[in-house]
This record gives sequence, structure tokens and C-alpha cells, in this order.
Amino acid sequence: MLAGAVAVAGIAACSPEEGAGPSDEPVEIEFWGWVPGLEDLVAQWNEENPDVQVAFHRMTGDDGQKVEAAVDAGAGPDLVQLSTHNLPDYVIAERVQDITDYVADDESNYTPASWASVSFDGRVFGVPQGIGPAATMYRHDIFAEHGIEFPTTWTEYLDAARALQEADEDLYIANLSPSEMGQWLQEIQQAESSWYGIADDAWTVGVDDEGSQLVAERWQTLLDEGLVTTEPMWTPEYWSLVNDGTIASITYAAWFPSILAENASGLAGQWSIAPMPTNDGSTNGGDSGGAAVVVLANAEQPAAAAEFASWLNGSDDTQEALITVGGLFPSTQNGLASPALLQENEFYGGQVINEVFIEAAENTPATWVEGPNYGFIQTTILDEFARVVNGDQTFAEALDVTQEAAIADLENRGLEVAAP
Amino acid sequence: MSTSTATGSRRRRHGAVSPWAPYLFVAPFVVLFLLFLVAPIAVAFVNSLFSRQSSGLGFGGSSIEFVGLANFVRAFADRDFLIGFPRVLLYGAVQVPVMMAIAAFFALLFDTALVKGRRFFQFTVFLPYAVPSVIAALLWGFLYQPSVSPVLQFFESVGITLSPLASTVVLWSIANVALWSLVGINMIILFSALQSVPREMYEAARIDGAGEVRTALQIKLPMIAPAVLLTTLSSIIGTLQLFNEPQVLQTITSNIPSDYTPNMAIYATSTLGKDPHLASAMAVILGLATLVVSLLVLAANKRTTNRAGHGL
Repeated sequence: MLAGAVAVAGIAACSPEEGAGPSDEPVEIEFWGWVPGLEDLVAQWNEENPDVQVAFHRMTGDDGQKVEAAVDAGAGPDLVQLSTHNLPDYVIAERVQDITDYVADDESNYTPASWASVSFDGRVFGVPQGIGPAATMYRHDIFAEHGIEFPTTWTEYLDAARALQEADEDLYIANLSPSEMGQWLQEIQQAESSWYGIADDAWTVGVDDEGSQLVAERWQTLLDEGLVTTEPMWTPEYWSLVNDGTIASITYAAWFPSILAENASGLAGQWSIAPMPTNDGSTNGGDSGGAAVVVLANAEQPAAAAEFASWLNGSDDTQEALITVGGLFPSTQNGLASPALLQENEFYGGQVINEVFIEAAENTPATWVEGPNYGFIQTTILDEFARVVNGDQTFAEALDVTQEAAIADLENRGLEVAAP
Repeated sequence: MSTSTATGSRRRRHGAVSPWAPYLFVAPFVVLFLLFLVAPIAVAFVNSLFSRQSSGLGFGGSSIEFVGLANFVRAFADRDFLIGFPRVLLYGAVQVPVMMAIAAFFALLFDTALVKGRRFFQFTVFLPYAVPSVIAALLWGFLYQPSVSPVLQFFESVGITLSPLASTVVLWSIANVALWSLVGINMIILFSALQSVPREMYEAARIDGAGEVRTALQIKLPMIAPAVLLTTLSSIIGTLQLFNEPQVLQTITSNIPSDYTPNMAIYATSTLGKDPHLASAMAVILGLATLVVSLLVLAANKRTTNRAGHGL
């Protein structure tokens, strides 16, 4: 087969004969993704590689669920962008192809954590595309007005939240969205929690582990003392809280600053970015999760598809566009070294915001393990969080309920579960 | 083939109808019915008896295994899924009568000679039905959020704080969206039924001294009972299937969990929880529940319609 030939050819050194396969017809690859600017990168590839033509479809709404249904029905695109949280489910359900033979050489260009997130049982199932280190965007004008330093630890954060409330009862340090998974994940990862672990040949479930309990306690305090608003994120109501200065800070991933700038354009120059506050006695950062490009089960030309994915995410030619147009925080070494990453940002008063995110990425502990039934846990825990915000239970109780349900769900799938 | 054609043509010569003709006429219905109703139900039922099973960590692949009724046992053990049923029934018990009353009121109103500009008002009442339910829920979603809703801001300015998304009232806020969307179509069905009532009936009633109101309540309403039955039945089935409005409003409030209605629970289990086999079992349960409720409504309506018929 041509598979071996392409694998040897690697990223850039592929001559037309090797990529084209046995016939002279160009190979056609269908690729679905959501990162801004992918159209231009695909056009560039098609120009340079007449023998492998990529057709791009921009994913919106529930396209991710469409992909699953299509793959299970024996159809679907060849390549798709996917949250790495969902990758184990795809591997177990055999929706993705093992591409170890095509991309193994790329490993050295990726951060160890991102490469680990696409590797299972020693096999590689995707090419990492960006990660989500967290930092805090805050209204420096509001903090200055009330003479409050932006906190560096969560203990100081609670004090700052109380001080803001005291100064103005309509002022909250943040919005605690019961529906936003990433904001929970980045804080529990910072606390070295992991929903999954592997013990021998069995999964462990850590939804209510020590790290998660620590964050639950903090969120409970914020909620009980009325220090936060509790609107679901992304709603008009939420953006109005941001724009009218009701909330003074937002802690989220490296892809969020550009979204904030877009949705709060009237507040340009009033925001700064600081490291996410830390837990006492720790310098850990957090990460809400990354993405990967995977070759789906029904792709007939996995070698060509993997070759394109490898070029798209790892080539020197694409890093700048992915960072500046795509808004990605790179998971590649050449991306992290790209000068594009260190540009000043006008909205944040000329701050080189990625310096903060680079530091966060360096300080993120490698404790998080991806596992199966992520979708199930997410749905369950968010429903339980909603009940917490309504005052029906506490965060600690929500974790217990989810922990139990998650174990039952894994066992129902026939998977081995061990006590953590 | 040739013999049957010959037989057919001979019969036609004798003026008899081909025995295949009726089947031919019902064929389009039967084919679509089998393909889009019976087949999916059969597939769902078969799916519900299986489960995807892995072993160990799961990376060795998985297989689909027969598990009997295990998925049904799991579905019936899911308290949140089961609570969805009384919730939508409560919703239906309030929403359907209110909707039918408003629809009947408008239909009777437009049927009287008293209304000026009837076509315009009919169109106005009907218009919301032309708005897809997802769009309707998005529109109302804006009206339900205090900082972007002119309606809530107006009430706030006169000292009344309304929070339509609060956990105690969110069910009725959903009902309001459905009401707004569906009154129009029900009004049109009832109004059309009224047009087929023989006009002599009204003349007779007038001669006997009945006024507009009495004619409406004692002549018109009983005469359109079958249409009321049809609309009530489809409305009740509609409420059991409740999905679009709460699913959309879920994105703006934490008071609607992912398994708020049975249909939402099925969706969440299949697409978010990634267990299509359990979801199939839940779908079969919902289908059976809908069938039972439909039969009950049908039986109840048959009795009342018969009584009304004898009364005339």
C-alpha cells in the first residue's frame, strides 16, 4: 500500500507521485472544522498539492453530533476537528482511525500534554490543534476605582470579591455560569483533579476527588455569599452583564480574549489579563481542554488525510495564520516560537496577552487524563450544577451524584472500573 | 404478468373495477407510512434490545450485544426521565385546554357577522404559526431576559419585577411560547369546520330566538365536535413530544435541565450521553405512553361526541 510511502515522506518532503496513489486522479479529502480562517489554509494546500484536494466544510451548531451519526451509518467526512475530551469515546466506538504510522514523526513538534491527549494505549488517533490554558481578564479600571489589587491567589480573590460587593452592591467579581464546562475544568485541573485515571486495566473516576472538592468549596462560598452572578454564559443577558460593568472579571481559556473583544468592543482599553489566581502553596495553572484533527473511520485515504492534518497543524507555513486568524493557542513547538504569538493587543491596552497564557501553559500540571463517557459526565454534572445554583443542593452533593452516575454508566458499557 | 393484465382488461371491458385499483390509491400512503413510521419504530425497538459493550479500558474495540430488556430496566430506574412524563402531562393539562378555548373563541368570533376586517385579524392570529417553533422560542427567549427585554423593563419601571425563567414558572413560560405559536392553526381548523355547518341551522336557531352567543355555544360548538377532537388529540400528542421550545430556552436558563421533558432526555442520552440503545428504549416507552394517552382521549371524546349527537 501507499501508506508506508507517505509515512516515510513525512510532512514536507512529499513528492506528487507518492501522494497521488495508484491512479492519476487527485485524491479527494473532505474536512470539517470550526477554526476561523481554515478556508484560506485549505486553499493554500490545494494550490500546493494538486494530487490531494481538500474540500472544507465549516462546522456550526450541532455538526459535531451529525458527524457521529454519519460515521456510525458508514458515511461522514474524512477528517474532522474534535475536542480531545471526546476522543476516547471516538476511539472506543471505533469512529477514528489509528494514524500512528503516518504521524509518529510529528511527536517532537508537539507539547507532551497535547500529544498525550491524542495517544491511547501507545497508538496515535489525531493531530493536536491548539490547547486552552486559562487566565483572567479583568476590568482594571473598576479594580483601580475601588483601590483593589487584582488577586493572585483564590484566597485573595474571595476577599476582593467581598470588597467589590461592599463598595457597590451591583458589582460582582465574576459570573459563575452553571452551564459552562470549561470554566469548571480549568479550575479542577489547576487543583490536579482528573475525571479519569487508569489503574492497571481499569478506569478510575475522580469527579469528586480532592481537587474537585477544593474548587466546589470555593464556588459554594462565592454562591452562598452572593459574590457572583449565575447567568448561563453566551446569552444576551450574560453579555449585558459584561458590557454594563456588573461583572469585573472573566477567567477563561486563551481563545476567549478575542471573543470578549468582539462582544464588548465598547470597553476597549479597560481590560487587562492576569494569571488565573492560584491555590495556596501552588503555582499551578489550568487548561479547559484542546482540540485535535482526527481521521474518521470511513476515510478511504487515511494516509493522504493524515498528511494534510499533519501539515495543517504542524507546518511552519500555517502557524501564524492559526494563531492570528484562527485565535488558537498553539500546541506545537514551532507555534510557541512564532513571533505572531507575542503581538500587542489593542483591546487589552497594548498588553502582550499571550505572555500570560504561555506562562499558564507551562504551569499546567500534567495530571488530567481523558476518558470515555465524557459527554455523559458533562451532561450530568451541568444538570446538577444548575440545581446547585437554584439552591436545591450544594456543589459537593452535585459531585457525589455525578460520580455515582458516571461509574454506573461506565459499567453499563462493559468497561472495567476500579476504586480510585 | 401477461395473464393478469389480460384479466384486468377483460374486466374493464365488462365495466368492473380492477381489484388492484384501491391498493394503488392507498399505496403512496402505505409506503410512506411503513417507511417513515413503522420502520423507525421497528428499528428503535430492535436497537433498544442491544447495547454496545467493551471490556477493560475499551480500546480493544467494542461489540453490539443482545441485552434483552436491560435498557428498559435502566430507563425505568432513571428518576429524572420518569419525572418528565408527569411534567409534560401537567403542561398539557393546562396548555391544551387554554389553547383550545382561545382557538375556539377566535374561530367563533370570526364566524359571526359582527367582526369587521375579518381576514386581516384571522391572518394576524394565524401568523405566529408561520414562525418555526425554534425561532419562536428564540424570540421569546429575548423577551424573557430582563436586560434585553423591553417588556420586562417596562414592568420593572412601574415597579413590577417579573422573572419568567424562574424555576417555578419556567414551564408556563414554555407553554406561553407554544400557545402563541399554535392558537392560529387550531383556530383555522375550527373555523373551517364551522364553514361546513349548514347555514339553515343558524336560521332555525335565530327563528327560535337564540342570540349569537347561544347559537355559538349550543349549535356551533357541538356541530364542530369532531374537529375539536382532532385538534385536541394532536395537541396532546404534541405536548408529550415537547422538545423545541424547552431545548432552545435551555440555552438561556439553568432552570431547564437536559432531561426536562421525555424527548429532551432521549436526545441527551443519545447525542450527549452517547448511548443510542438506551435512548431507543426510552423512545419506545415515550411512543407507548403517547399511544395510551391518545387512545384514552379518543375513547373519552367518542363518548362525549355520541352524547352530544343524541342530544341534538
